[in-house]
Amino acid sequence: MSGSVRVFADYRGDVLESCDVVVVGSGPGGAVVAHGLAKAGRDVVLVEEGPPFTPEDFVVDGAISMSRTMREGGLRATRGFVMPTMQANALGGGSLVNSAICVRSPRTTLDAWAEQYGLSRTGRDDLDPHYQAIEDLVGIAPTPDEVQGPRNLLFREGCRALGWSCEPIARNVVGCRGSGECFTGCRSRAKQSTDVSLVPAAIRSGARVLTSARVERVLTWGRRRATGVEGSIVRPFTGEATHRFRIDAKVVVLAAGCMATPVLLQKSGDLANSSGQVGENLQFHPGVAILGVFPDRTEPQFGATQGYQSLHFVSEGFKMETLWAPPGVFAVRLPGFGLDFKANLARIPYCAVFDSISSCNRSLGSVRARRSGMDPVLHWRLHHEDVRILAKAMWAMAKVFFAAGATSILPGVHGLPDEMRSPDEAEVLLTHSYRPTDLTCSGNHVFSTTRMHGDPRRGVVGEDGLCHDFDNLYVADTGILPRSPSVNPMLTLMAIAHRMSGEIAARL
Amino acid sequence: MPRAQPPRVVGRADVREIENPGQAVRTVAGNPGPTTDLRLAPPATRAKKEAVNQLLVGTVLVGGGALLSRRFLAGYPRPPVATDCLAPREWATVAAAADATFPEGGALPPSGEQAGVAEHVDRFVAAQQPSTRLLMRLLFVLVEHATVVFPAPGRGGRRRFSDLDREQRVRVLEGWRTSPLFPRRLVFTSLRAILTMGYLGDAEVMRLLGLAPPEIERRVCEADLLWGRIGEPSSAVRFRREDLSAAGPVVPIAVPAEAHRFDEPRPGGVA
Repeated sequence: MSGSVRVFADYRGDVLESCDVVVVGSGPGGAVVAHGLAKAGRDVVLVEEGPPFTPEDFVVDGAISMSRTMREGGLRATRGFVMPTMQANALGGGSLVNSAICVRSPRTTLDAWAEQYGLSRTGRDDLDPHYQAIEDLVGIAPTPDEVQGPRNLLFREGCRALGWSCEPIARNVVGCRGSGECFTGCRSRAKQSTDVSLVPAAIRSGARVLTSARVERVLTWGRRRATGVEGSIVRPFTGEATHRFRIDAKVVVLAAGCMATPVLLQKSGDLANSSGQVGENLQFHPGVAILGVFPDRTEPQFGATQGYQSLHFVSEGFKMETLWAPPGVFAVRLPGFGLDFKANLARIPYCAVFDSISSCNRSLGSVRARRSGMDPVLHWRLHHEDVRILAKAMWAMAKVFFAAGATSILPGVHGLPDEMRSPDEAEVLLTHSYRPTDLTCSGNHVFSTTRMHGDPRRGVVGEDGLCHDFDNLYVADTGILPRSPSVNPMLTLMAIAHRMSGEIAARL
Repeated sequence: MPRAQPPRVVGRADVREIENPGQAVRTVAGNPGPTTDLRLAPPATRAKKEAVNQLLVGTVLVGGGALLSRRFLAGYPRPPVATDCLAPREWATVAAAADATFPEGGALPPSGEQAGVAEHVDRFVAAQQPSTRLLMRLLFVLVEHATVVFPAPGRGGRRRFSDLDREQRVRVLEGWRTSPLFPRRLVFTSLRAILTMGYLGDAEVMRLLGLAPPEIERRVCEADLLWGRIGEPSSAVRFRREDLSAAGPVVPIAVPAEAHRFDEPRPGGVA
């Protein structure tokens, strides 16, 4: 069987295809399922709304890059508690524009899932073989010192000085040069995002890939069978619909992303929702970041985007890591105006940025379809108890900064000094009485909007990813994670998707 | 002399009709209606009063409209370059905010204008989908005219944002940044993000900061054999299998010599 790929310029009219399995979405979940099934000899069609990017298509300018690679131009935000969050719109999905972090979920977290969500075979021991398979497949390895750059190594220095555990981040990269451009697309072709790893491998195994194809409806027959999907061929960047397509399939796998799959189900007639859980339980890993200023130049643009992490406080709900992104993103929080502001901008080469992602399991929200279009309306609120986790995370990052030799930090918290110059001064980060809106958060990693639950009345899918209400409709994105995986979710999702692809192949 | 009776109201609840054959006057429900008994005034006086009223209402409407259009639409100069998206009033807002945020000189010499902030914002807004573009335009309207509600300090503080002098603009923006009201801070953050990304989108500014993106050698992987640049058909792929980059050690990008130095790396981390 020979695979193929179609890009926008290849479409000459409406498209009608049939296959064993149609997979919607080419991000980490969908690509793993498509690759696994194609490799097992099944006839697979992988459908992706976004276009494939080449290094020539990447733009290093942060704003323009976001408008090209993200839905809603990268300006999506939650309502209730206003927090920016993003979803990629490209072949490779989020893997194209994330920093390639691959971390296994802690055993304690997976044990808690089992207990609270009636899961009997999603423990760490169950997933370890699948973790291993994915790690081998996409070349996951700890970031070597050669590409850490000063910014990441300062984090290590700080953690070690405090006696806190830290480790180089394991990433799916091969031949990283430390350009720090993960978020705008890897021009080095080092990041093994699914568009350069699993999707080509799936095509090699016979998968057909349709890009620039936006799925708008899941087709069904009777009450328990999905028969395919349909939607529009859309022009890259503008979303203008030019043709229609329909894919008939024996099995439908939705991997459109935690914020898009619920919309698709709702727009298709509120499918798979006898539990009432589709679009509910929206969770994020709210991220808070702190800038630290050092006496020497840190040349922060060099080195792996995120090269070091500390899991020291994972049991308290947060993980710390290093960070780099287009500087315009950080510079927003610098104080001052006019020449003062420019003086602060000129300190960027002396800065490092550390961030934390927090498991805010009490902070919940929902995803709803808009009346028109396929973009979601996100409602979410930061629970006041979870604010304490973020406060502790900021305090801990401040400690690391000062232990690493920073002369000051810029926490970016409303109501606190713009700049703090000593560890003592930074203690207020722990003791301050915060309102959620005092914090500048970003909505990293999204989960649970089609959550996995052993009880069909309380979840949308079972442990195999199959919707409780259907015989052949699966979900394979982070929506199925029942709650925060405590660490970056990509590897855990890929491991679950890997298991899922084997089980679907066995059923066909 | 018997006291004149007010007109009797008949008809539906939402529209009242004064019973006066041949001279029906309609008033909106809830309005107590005319206090003068129209039946007692001679027809010429009534017509004159109505004409005066209409003239007054018309004057107020036209004057108000003129003031509003002057405030919101008129008097904006043409942008100095052809724009992709921004209207003259939006350009003026962005340019004024960029001027307040990035004046010429200081640690980074280029001003917001020299760095092409407004041009960058124009391209950024043009790249958005219509719904997002609308939100961004609303942001600019809000910034431009919020001084009606939150006037700038000093004389003439209720002028449009782009008409304020630089010191006033700075103080307006600072007021938004430090406001106890979260929505105001949010507006400020959104605006500053757009402006700052524009300023740091300038190649010269990035060069001065030492943050210019490095040259990166083009490596060819299997994906490059499957599709070309966005917009090209897959038949236009320019690489062949023999172009694939060889696997092997890759040289990391060199960090400039003046960067922070570390002792010899110690093995591994503590998990």
